Amino acid sequence: MRRGSIVRMVIYGVLAGTVASLIAVLIPWLPPSASEQMDRIEFTFWFTTVICIGIFAIVAAIITYCVLKFRAAPDDERDGPPVHGHTGLEIVWTAVPAVLVTAISVVSAIVLAKNDDAGDNPLRVGVTAQQFAWAFDYPNEDGEPLRSGELVLPVNRPVKLTLHAQDVIHSFWVPEFGQKSDAVPGIETTLAITPTKVGSFSVVCTELCGLGHATMRAAVTVVNEQDYQAFLERLAAGPAAEPGQGGDTGEEIFTATGCGSCHAFEPAGTDAQVGPPLDDLAGAAENAGLDLEAFIHESIVDPEKRLAEGFQGDVMPKTYDRSLTDEQLDALVQYLVEGQRG
Amino acid sequence: MTQTEHTHHHAAHGHAPSPTGLRRLTAPGWLRATWMTIVFAALGIGIVAFFRWLGGYEPILEWNVVATVAFMTTAPIGFLAGLGSFDYWLYYISGRPTRPEDHSSHGAHSWRDYFRINTDHKVIGVQYLVTVFVFFVLGGLAAMLFRAELAQPDLQFVDGQAYNGLISMHAALMIFLFIIPAFAGLANFAVPLMLGATDMAFPRLNALSFWLLPIAGIMLVASFAAPGGAFASGWTAYPPLSTEQPMGQIFFNMGVQWAGASSIMTALNFLVTIITMRAPGMTFWRMPLLVWANFTTSLLVVIATPFIAASQFFVLFDRIMHTNFFTVGEGGYVLAYQHIFWFYSHPAVYIMMLPGFGIISEVIAVFSRKPVFGYRLMALSLMAILILGFSVWAHHMFVAGMAPWLRVPMMVTSMIIAVPTGVKVFSWLATMWEGRLHFRTPMLFALGFLSMFVIGGLSGIFLASVPIDVHASDTYFVVAHIHYVLFGGSVFTIFAGIYYWFPKMTGRMYSEGLGKLHFWLTFIGFNGTFFPMHWVGLQGMPRRVADYAAEFGSWNMVMTIFSFLLGISTVVFFYNVIVSWSRGRIAESNPWRALTLEWQVSSPPPVFNFDAIPQVVGGPYEYGVPGARHAVLNAGAAAEAREEEAVR
Repeated sequence: MRRGSIVRMVIYGVLAGTVASLIAVLIPWLPPSASEQMDRIEFTFWFTTVICIGIFAIVAAIITYCVLKFRAAPDDERDGPPVHGHTGLEIVWTAVPAVLVTAISVVSAIVLAKNDDAGDNPLRVGVTAQQFAWAFDYPNEDGEPLRSGELVLPVNRPVKLTLHAQDVIHSFWVPEFGQKSDAVPGIETTLAITPTKVGSFSVVCTELCGLGHATMRAAVTVVNEQDYQAFLERLAAGPAAEPGQGGDTGEEIFTATGCGSCHAFEPAGTDAQVGPPLDDLAGAAENAGLDLEAFIHESIVDPEKRLAEGFQGDVMPKTYDRSLTDEQLDALVQYLVEGQRG
Repeated sequence: MTQTEHTHHHAAHGHAPSPTGLRRLTAPGWLRATWMTIVFAALGIGIVAFFRWLGGYEPILEWNVVATVAFMTTAPIGFLAGLGSFDYWLYYISGRPTRPEDHSSHGAHSWRDYFRINTDHKVIGVQYLVTVFVFFVLGGLAAMLFRAELAQPDLQFVDGQAYNGLISMHAALMIFLFIIPAFAGLANFAVPLMLGATDMAFPRLNALSFWLLPIAGIMLVASFAAPGGAFASGWTAYPPLSTEQPMGQIFFNMGVQWAGASSIMTALNFLVTIITMRAPGMTFWRMPLLVWANFTTSLLVVIATPFIAASQFFVLFDRIMHTNFFTVGEGGYVLAYQHIFWFYSHPAVYIMMLPGFGIISEVIAVFSRKPVFGYRLMALSLMAILILGFSVWAHHMFVAGMAPWLRVPMMVTSMIIAVPTGVKVFSWLATMWEGRLHFRTPMLFALGFLSMFVIGGLSGIFLASVPIDVHASDTYFVVAHIHYVLFGGSVFTIFAGIYYWFPKMTGRMYSEGLGKLHFWLTFIGFNGTFFPMHWVGLQGMPRRVADYAAEFGSWNMVMTIFSFLLGISTVVFFYNVIVSWSRGRIAESNPWRALTLEWQVSSPPPVFNFDAIPQVVGGPYEYGVPGARHAVLNAGAAAEAREEEAVR
């Protein structure tokens, strides 16, 4: 190989590497980290990125050089030099990538071990997923765990989540925390998270779980220790429903039960379209020959009885008469009645 | 290796006279296929009704069972029998005279010959390719529909269930009815020719495996008409979601069986053909890399495909027979599905990749006018990918809740598989080095493949690393990765192969200008659609969602616009193919000055490929080697060369 070609190759390589590096650095690839685990994931990500940019730059430089330098005229019928191989080169491009991927594996394995470890005394929170809502159970010394529709976590304290699914597979992911695990019916999975930033985030379901998959979200709030204790007190003060949903005002029940994952309801600020909107039910109640209150009550406890036009059955759980107390059910119905338009 | 020369009378090559009267109803063909489909469907319904009546089950006609047995099992068998797939075998079994020397089902004299049981590997290759492009269009239209939905946040055109149906259909069609069979079609055409064989080892099996394919495709597409809509639990169809879905899911469970059976039969056929039908002198180390690639792919297919068949039967049995493979609380274990499914579906990625590697090796050597660099290591790296490919499946399950210890070993094997893949990429680059590069359309697609596949391979390294995968899995980053591998990889190689062998298949040249236009539109549309997905995925957009956070709106609009450009690019392709096929310039026998055997015969090749069995005397890529020859075709010279080889 002539010296000039090496120089040109290096120039192309540096150019390709610079472009790739600029794309890597200027675009914020990962969301701003909000957990210790995400910090380590970020490290692994950049470690891998540096190696991959190197490889990409080499390949891009060779392709560019070949395309520019070795182009033949259409009527050129000559053949290239009959080179069949080069054992040394072949050993190099087998061995070097092998070393690089081994390095990535080692770093990844170490990071994985750290990210799995929630320490000796983590805060334990249960996560229950069902189509299409999340519920979070906080330990309670006095008995039944306290259930919340929102995940509230204290900052800088290791948390161990225990995930369950009631119907199909779901997956728990908070992009800023980095950690993700499926919630699988019949088995228990766990996830370690140590939040490092106070703020609001959201749980995103990442495993296709049916027609409401896209809207299966829940709020996550990371707070300081003081606010966390206040949250726990509020949670404990509410009637811990059997087996159920937390909160006692209609609005709290609406949120905690996950109604908003499927239904649009203006007072609650939800706009999901899995199930019929709940803002204007007077017409439907009239068609059913019931007064508004009775119609809403019936639709919650026996959703299959009258399906709204354009919506299919077998989606909404038929268990609310058991999972909500009579008081909660009444409060929810009142909340919906009061929120009607016009 | 023995091959008989054709000594029979050539008048026998003509077609049997068309039957008349009542004989038309019993002669193999579409008429018989129609009534036999109906009769067999009725038979299936009868069987279900009879046994349910006997057992006292209500209702007598349970539509899940009827659809499985009558519409998706007996009716297709009736169709195949009516078309004539089993005639020869049934004649043989029942001791009636068969017609071994009657080649009436060989070759194609008019377009009608493509619509019947044809045992000519070249006709079957074309049948495959035309069929798969029909499903490519349907799969692409599904993609454009859901891209339209995704252009803006919130729901505009379809609801959640319909959206899930579209994404599931898109993936199922592109994988099972486009990429896998497209390679089977290209290989069907090219492999026997490259080996110096007159046909595949089992021509009738070959015809049968083709005709299973449209059955599978129609089954998948027909699920749109099922009550509750198309199957909507993704192409991965994880239970318990898939066992709870409306009836459309059965169409997927069964469609996959037919496509899988087709795949397995073809793979067996390739294996036997490659092992036993090589021309004299065609040792394994003289086989073109396309043949090597199909050899390894066929091994993968034969070993792995039964696993997806099993996984879909389990889901089907849970639904219609009330078994409890995945029923929690009844002893079912839902993760078992994922292990079985991915034990096929990861090797399936290589089933969709290795044949493309073979095509790229042919194209790059020919258009660089140089021997493939490190030929033996290229073949060995295919074998390495084959073996390693069976040890990486659980990298799809890093967040699935499987045994935690399995993650690190599966990460390591997944990383190591990058090594043989890297060997191939570097060897292609070295093949081009100091070559005389001709940028015809196949070469452009080969270069497009090379650059896009490198990006897909590198994003694969990210996903193999467990901690990164924990963040990125089930997001648009994964969608970006698989499209860089299966579109930038597989689909680009399919286009490279189609342009490369187009003159040989049709006897006409395609339009170079339109080919290049097609390439550039595809290349730009592809990158514009899929590159931003890396970013939105890592930022927090999960895959398989009809609705998404408003912050991703503008990027999704960009992707949708480019995806429509991608749609337009295929219109250029179809226009080019259709017009060139009917009116293109007549192709010479060897327009690319290639050395492999298929280019040494006329375009299109004669019905039995070679006038005399060729004698192979050297490697397939001896470009630039003075006086080098791959094979001798002329009968007399071949005999001489044979003697020469024997002396050596």
